[in-house]
Amino acid sequence: MGLFDSILGRTKPVQADLDNLFGLPSASITLQSAAAMACSGHAGVCYKPPTGQGFADNQTEVLSLLKMDTTSGVTSSEDSFGYHWLVMEDPDIEALVTQIHLVNSSLSDAGWGPQLLCSVFGLAHLPAGSPEDADREGATVGVGSVVPSTAYLVYLFKRGTFYPFVPTGHEQRSTEEELKLRSLVADDLSVEADLDRWFPLWDLPVP
Amino acid sequence: MSTARNIPNDRGLSLRMFTTGLMLVLLYGAVIGLLIAVGISYAIVLVFAAGLLFVQYWFSDKIALYGMGGRLVTPEQAPQLHGAIDRLCAMADMKKPRVAIADTDVPNAFATGRSPNNAVVCATTGLIRRLDEPELEAVLAHELSHVAHRDVAVMTIASFLGMVAGMVTRMMLWTGMMGGFGGGNNNGNNNQGGDNAALVELAVLVVSVVVYAISFLLTMALSRYRELAADRSGALLTGQPSVLASALVKVTGDIARIPSRDLRSTESFNAFYFTPAIAKSGVSISTIFSTHPSLDQRLAQLAALEAEMGRPS
Repeated sequence: MGLFDSILGRTKPVQADLDNLFGLPSASITLQSAAAMACSGHAGVCYKPPTGQGFADNQTEVLSLLKMDTTSGVTSSEDSFGYHWLVMEDPDIEALVTQIHLVNSSLSDAGWGPQLLCSVFGLAHLPAGSPEDADREGATVGVGSVVPSTAYLVYLFKRGTFYPFVPTGHEQRSTEEELKLRSLVADDLSVEADLDRWFPLWDLPVP
Repeated sequence: MSTARNIPNDRGLSLRMFTTGLMLVLLYGAVIGLLIAVGISYAIVLVFAAGLLFVQYWFSDKIALYGMGGRLVTPEQAPQLHGAIDRLCAMADMKKPRVAIADTDVPNAFATGRSPNNAVVCATTGLIRRLDEPELEAVLAHELSHVAHRDVAVMTIASFLGMVAGMVTRMMLWTGMMGGFGGGNNNGNNNQGGDNAALVELAVLVVSVVVYAISFLLTMALSRYRELAADRSGALLTGQPSVLASALVKVTGDIARIPSRDLRSTESFNAFYFTPAIAKSGVSISTIFSTHPSLDQRLAQLAALEAEMGRPS
């Protein structure tokens, strides 16, 4: 956005940047070896549903596309801020990223990029005592099953960056854990450098 | 890659705003030229006015917050307000401003601060109490648009000339009343020269009154266009123009019901307000003296946007 446009009061809606999502599988591998954490099998897309039938049609299309894949589950919900969430479930992180990308790219191709807020990927600790098992399984990255998340990686569409979010209770977050996660994934993902933009997502509908 | 949604720029609005700005700039040029032609004795007024406005601009956040009794709040104190602003800023890819709450029952909100880095968005408790969450969010999106459009800077610069002209007028009237026009530098032995000086000073007085009037009208017009622009950008950000419209209707209806004494004490901040805090006693007040467009005009723009967005793609 140029200064000229802003002086004339003509700020344009910001389009979404989807390209950096694909660093996630390799970040998951790094987390698995360095911190015994992996993708929990849950991920969600958050957007602000705009008014009108145009968007409603596109949303229905996306949902029916997602439901064609029978190996993974999709649920949708609305949060207290009026944002809509599509929550997906799949033990394979590659499949999850592909699905999230499908949602995002269908919506932004239809012109709804400005309405996308963030995508959230759940992380969980590997079952204690069996890191070798996880290593041996090798082929499937992740815990191998769908478990509740203990930490999240949030992808900001407008910035094309990730930041970690570790809620620890009612409107509490563990900054220490988040900074630890940041240093772990910094090589694989573009991490949001401005800490002011690591906004909390209390009561995430992503389990 | 993604394509932009089919919401065209409002060319008419941009054009009107640009024309108004251009006329202000032309007026500036004319006045500076006139000052140079008359002599540099008014340079001191310019410097003084510039200094005054600069202070007002530089400390706009503190002045406005102090004037309204707003206090900065942390995310723990106002989680809902912060959460809504967090999300809007993430959608608009802009830096999060500081957040303040003013303890007054007048339902209103304002944005201030010299640049997006120093911005403060303030909502009154009356606003938070009256609006539901989507409506509050729509109002916040409108205020964030003011921040993104750098409206404090624009309006400060725009009001500079009017302020100078007002000061010159007042100065001329004072000196005119005390010593008679041109009396000071007239020694009596040169009547012809004295008359000329009196004529020049009278001309300066007339010109500055005219300049003051014109720049006042232009500034008001510019302010109205910028309100419309903020409505538009705010509505596009949330994607729900009708929600902003319903917030406007609620707030405007409520403002009219509040006793006017409370309201008058807040009039000086109107330029950055969501809706003007002046009780409308009669409907005949011409809108050209208003900092805000009429409710009908704002609702009409939002309705047009709503229709545009609602079109199936």
